[in-house]
Amino acid sequence: MRRSRRQAAALYGSLAFIALIIGLPFWWVATGSIKLPREIIQRQPTMVPHSFTLQHFEKLLQASDFPVYLVNSLAVALFSTAFTVLLALPAAYAFFRMEFPGRAALYRVILLAYAFPGVVVLIPLYGLFARVGLIDNRAALVIVNVALALPFSIWMMRSFLATVPREIEEAAVVDGAPPLTILVRILMPLIAPGIASVAIFAFISSWTEYLFASVLIVSDARRTIPVGFAGIIGQYQIDWGLLLAGATAAIIPVVVLFALVGRWFVAGLTEGAVK
Amino acid sequence: MAGLSLKSVKKRFGETEVIRGVDLDVTDGEFVVFVGPSGCGKSTLLRMIAGLESTSEGRIEIGGRDVTGEDPARRGIAMVFQTYALYPHMTVAANMGFPLEMAKRPKAEIERKVAEAAKILHLEPYLKRKPRELSGGQRQRVAIGRAIVRQPGVFLFDEPLSNLDAELRVQMRIEIARLHQQLGTTMIYVTHDQVEAMTLASRIVVLRAGRIEQVGAPLDLYENPDNSFVAGFIGSPRMNFIPATVDAVEGGKAVVSAPEAGLSGLAVATRGELPKPGAKVSLGLRPEHFVPAEGAAAALAGLVTLMERLGGVSYAHAQLGNGESLTVESRDARSFAAGDEARFGIDPARAFLFDEDGRRL
Repeated sequence: MRRSRRQAAALYGSLAFIALIIGLPFWWVATGSIKLPREIIQRQPTMVPHSFTLQHFEKLLQASDFPVYLVNSLAVALFSTAFTVLLALPAAYAFFRMEFPGRAALYRVILLAYAFPGVVVLIPLYGLFARVGLIDNRAALVIVNVALALPFSIWMMRSFLATVPREIEEAAVVDGAPPLTILVRILMPLIAPGIASVAIFAFISSWTEYLFASVLIVSDARRTIPVGFAGIIGQYQIDWGLLLAGATAAIIPVVVLFALVGRWFVAGLTEGAVK
Repeated sequence: MAGLSLKSVKKRFGETEVIRGVDLDVTDGEFVVFVGPSGCGKSTLLRMIAGLESTSEGRIEIGGRDVTGEDPARRGIAMVFQTYALYPHMTVAANMGFPLEMAKRPKAEIERKVAEAAKILHLEPYLKRKPRELSGGQRQRVAIGRAIVRQPGVFLFDEPLSNLDAELRVQMRIEIARLHQQLGTTMIYVTHDQVEAMTLASRIVVLRAGRIEQVGAPLDLYENPDNSFVAGFIGSPRMNFIPATVDAVEGGKAVVSAPEAGLSGLAVATRGELPKPGAKVSLGLRPEHFVPAEGAAAALAGLVTLMERLGGVSYAHAQLGNGESLTVESRDARSFAAGDEARFGIDPARAFLFDEDGRRL
């Protein structure tokens, strides 16, 4: 279908507007991190930096605990992502293909996990983790993150599995492939975009998780970035430059992840399979 | 290689019975085609033989072994799907080698068998390609190749040609026939296309509503159908059915008439049972069995509404006085013209009679 000039202008105009809304805060944070402190707090804000300095980043990497937080966050996020994907895939496959009593009911029930705000389960969870000695342990965060990301991930993964034509699986069954082989050898390569989506969802959920990380982790050396950084906001003063540099640095792993995973988002993976 | 036997096989989905007791024996090396209209259960029956659908009742034996509850992979079958069902992320060679890999055959053997199959199917230049880089016909050949390498006792084809265009379909049909000659393996082939059934089958199984209507060699079904369903399904264009009345029974023949269609005194031989005078019957006449009206034993009269001239043959579509429509094949393109009041001669030896329930008389 061809678009008229006016339609095209409206389309690109709206896209530019949305891009602006999304992009502006990033621009603000990223450029702020290289301004001199007096420019940051200047009464008249500057969109384009007039000064340039790397002092905030120097301070971030050398004088703050940021590197520790970064490592903690990365560890928690990567493990959370890995476990979420590893568990969501077989669970989604089971919900999708295997027949067992209560399948439909259970499939809906898992979404109940989202019926309660995190705060509601915070205290009981704290109690549970205290009892098994997981307070102030990063594993506790991984467990919580995986538990929170899984239900939605299972739903997402199942809808991706549903795009694979049934005959491909049947052909594999006739060819003698057991269920796990079908999942790993046939389905996984075909739903790579789905796996990537779930991975990104799980990573970002974990990367930005604040509530549980602030309560379940006690010592400074085990904090993740969101919690650790909240500490920079002091009671009487805020080091804006450091905060902005930290925020900028915290975005980088997410950008890298998207760059790495993005190439899995290719359409037409099942092309040539049927018809 | 193996024969196949179905013993009062039934399939229910919940309350609905889709296969209602099928008995069939297929001898080793036969090419059996299941035909029937959509929803007759032919694909379900094939999938039951493959083990992709469970069997609610009855027994399935392949090569004399009861496989009713066996896994698909252990039944000694290979299946070719309508949609090819290739593994899109694997090369042609990997697709064809997959079943052998699953059977944990040594690598050298896999390579050898894939090469053999590729040679039979003229796929050698494409072994390193992915399915999306192939044409429809090539994809279907890969699917067949994947079946061949397993050296199954029975090949199962589920409407393998219906995704191909007309020209390719004819070509692949010939290839499948050639393949059957070359391999000599039992093949079960599902189609709704009666031309495929007629040209490929050593025996045709006509199914309707989960039951076998008739089993026989293609020409047997054509020349000697058991009922009006089979008679109408086998043969193209389909048989004309004209309501008629039995006037008399003479010398083992039923004399029928359809006054409104201009037909009287047509004596048709029956297979055995003779209808009673006055009985309502259905007169079956194949479009290709009409003769010139002059000198014919009897004739139908009607108005030619449309002529289809294909060159070699022509089809006259006519409206009879009783409101029935009639299709008549003619070798002479100029014998009829649209708008003509015409008479169509009948050869009594090639006329069929069916009772009111559609049973052949």
